[in-house]
Amino acid sequence: MIAFKFTKTYGAEYISHLDLLRHIYRTLRRAGIPVNYSGGFHKHPRIFLNNPLGTGIKSVAEYATIDTPFDGDFAGVFNAHSPAGIKCLKWAHVKDNQNYANCIVKCTYSAEGIPPFDIAALLARESIEITDMRGRKVDIRPRIYAVERQDDGLVFTLGCGENNLRPDLFCDYLCSVYGGRAKNITKTASEMSGGEFV
Amino acid sequence: MRVLINRQIDDIIRYMTINIDDLKDILSRVEKPARYTGGEYGQIKSPENAPFYFCMAFPDLYEVGMSNLGIKIVAESFLRRGYAADYCFAPQTDFGDAIKRADIPLYSLALKKPLKEFDMIGFSVQFELCYTNILYTLDLAGIPLRRADRAGGKYPLIAIGGPCAVNPEPLADFVDLVFIGDGESADADVAALYLECGGATDEFFRRAAAIEGVYVPALMDVKYDKDGHICGFEGDFTPRRAIIGDLDGAVFPAAQPVPNCESVFDRSIIEVMRGCYRGCRFCQAGFIYRPVRQRSVRTLTEQACSLIASTGYDEVSLNSLSTGDYPRLRELIRSLKDSLPEGVTLALPSLRVDSFDSDFAQDARKISLTFAPEAGSQRLRDVINKDITEDEILNAAESAFDIGYSAVKLYFMLGLPTETDDDLRAIRRIVDLIKSAYGRKKRAKALRVSVSVSTFIPKPFTPFQWEAQCGESQVEAKQKLLRDSLYIKGVTLSWSDYFTSRLEGVLARGDRRLGYAIERAYALGCRFDGWTKQLNKEAWTQAFADCGIDPDIYTRERGEEEILPWDFIDMGINKNFFLRERRRAYEATVTGSCKKGCAGCGLQGVCPAAKGDR
Repeated sequence: MIAFKFTKTYGAEYISHLDLLRHIYRTLRRAGIPVNYSGGFHKHPRIFLNNPLGTGIKSVAEYATIDTPFDGDFAGVFNAHSPAGIKCLKWAHVKDNQNYANCIVKCTYSAEGIPPFDIAALLARESIEITDMRGRKVDIRPRIYAVERQDDGLVFTLGCGENNLRPDLFCDYLCSVYGGRAKNITKTASEMSGGEFV
Repeated sequence: MRVLINRQIDDIIRYMTINIDDLKDILSRVEKPARYTGGEYGQIKSPENAPFYFCMAFPDLYEVGMSNLGIKIVAESFLRRGYAADYCFAPQTDFGDAIKRADIPLYSLALKKPLKEFDMIGFSVQFELCYTNILYTLDLAGIPLRRADRAGGKYPLIAIGGPCAVNPEPLADFVDLVFIGDGESADADVAALYLECGGATDEFFRRAAAIEGVYVPALMDVKYDKDGHICGFEGDFTPRRAIIGDLDGAVFPAAQPVPNCESVFDRSIIEVMRGCYRGCRFCQAGFIYRPVRQRSVRTLTEQACSLIASTGYDEVSLNSLSTGDYPRLRELIRSLKDSLPEGVTLALPSLRVDSFDSDFAQDARKISLTFAPEAGSQRLRDVINKDITEDEILNAAESAFDIGYSAVKLYFMLGLPTETDDDLRAIRRIVDLIKSAYGRKKRAKALRVSVSVSTFIPKPFTPFQWEAQCGESQVEAKQKLLRDSLYIKGVTLSWSDYFTSRLEGVLARGDRRLGYAIERAYALGCRFDGWTKQLNKEAWTQAFADCGIDPDIYTRERGEEEILPWDFIDMGINKNFFLRERRRAYEATVTGSCKKGCAGCGLQGVCPAAKGDR
């Protein structure tokens, strides 16, 4: 098995999760990297991605595991055949499926276009209620781990997986309170329980 | 000096491009934004500072257009000559409305160049219900819809091609050029002429009209008599269909872009043959793509291997109107299996019942079979020249059941000439026979049969071009009869909406005057008329009323002595041949396939089959 970290940029941020899976599969086919298939009636290639990223959000910290006997220069061969925005950043041979969909617990994002505001006051609040995309009231405060200003941008760490908070939703909230318009939301890091490649 | 400044401004406009990051707000709010970003793997690459910029436009969604092989062939024919070529698809209304509000012009996908800045925009018109989408695309591009409003050379040439170009008259007032027939050479020939003439001059149009496969609507006038019937055409040119002789050596793109989001036919496509030997009397494609021209096993194998390597697809589709009639099909399949990487499957669509061979289907997922008997009774199949018997269907189905298939899709039509209620009831008989063939052995799964019945639409350049199209009450009575007769467990029936079929029929056999109704319908908000959820029936009805057009005059039976709106186009097929075939239809006489003998349609001079190459 090979686990790898990859990008979703240069327009690839608009590719949906299911289509991303197809693109990775086709990249592997073009590159001649064999993938093992699941058993069963409807066989499918064993490619395991981390949780879906909202469309339009860029990332330089996506993760996947693939079941392959490949033993060459994975990044070199993969990147020579992948679409412009989907590039392997690092990789390693691993023993098992890393199950990134489960083990990634927090993600860090950066965004531009949000004006300066009192971060300490925001973090001091006990609850922050917003209406999510399905129209439900949710308290997002427990899902916000860190917020800080770096240069012109805002860098923040939000929950992922069971405790997920979409970064665009968080930015919408900030803009609704402090004004501005979030641009270039990018996932910069994913934090997993247990380590990056095990 | 002034000239110089103007030139510089022109250059700035020419190289103006749209930045996708500027569209972020719009892209994040629309469905499937990947349709609008371009940047596909293997996207089309044009030379820089090309002398001519061609935009291949498709008046339907990205995922439909990206599945079309024809547009890739046409684009490739421009690239081969050193011109620039790019794609543009009709955006869904959410995106279209948003860019219009934001005053962002519609742009091409790879170069991100506003459509307005191209030298020519060519629409591939696959069926009549996308006519309003042509206007929608022009409107989003900021290009006046009517040719008359584009005078002065400020705008690109607007062209159409594809199957609907055989009767381009409803679109005649919107377009500068119509490409009739094979698109491999005529389209790019026009570009060369444009450069030679220094733009869209009078000389350019006059000389373009003389190119085989090109029709210039501005150079032809239609004359009507006092009853409003066409009484003649006035013009110096007879547009003749372009026919390429050598399909094997014809332009074919060795690599194709891989769509960003799943397309309707998400696989590699090779074109095995063009044309069909059969001559089913209702089928326009069977006539307008004549004669049959084949590609060699070697070329097809090379093309398939190149596509699979460059796209990463795991399926190859062998396309043609009747792949089962390809004489070296076994050899081709063996060659493909030997040459393609392991695990690549072959999809063989539109296989005719009698050429369905269980050997060939082994690879496809053993799920569903598709047969198109088109008519329930043998008598009616003889009328339409569908040369298939019940036994052939049953034999093919039974051998497929034995290798594991458990679902059958059946395609029929209603409203065919001479059709009676008994012909429709005979559909039930075929379903029963298939069910009992399945029940003859013990099988693991229950059989599923889906019967799909569309409404017959008479089309230009077919022996049925004079026929009346069934009216609403008749169609509804026929559909009810089928619903009653096919109310059986395990059988699902679907039928087509009357209004949609009627609109398609009106536009298919329409004339120049319909342009007003199309324009009015677009103004009233009609777009994506081929999509059931988006078809706006009220608006279309109002559009016809506002223009004083009674659509029924287009669906009525036409007199054989009448001048038909498309009669001025020379498709290479004799009108007498169509008349002869019409008589034979009424006698229920089958005219065999071109493989069995030449029926003398008029194309013998260029037809390999007529010369004995079958």
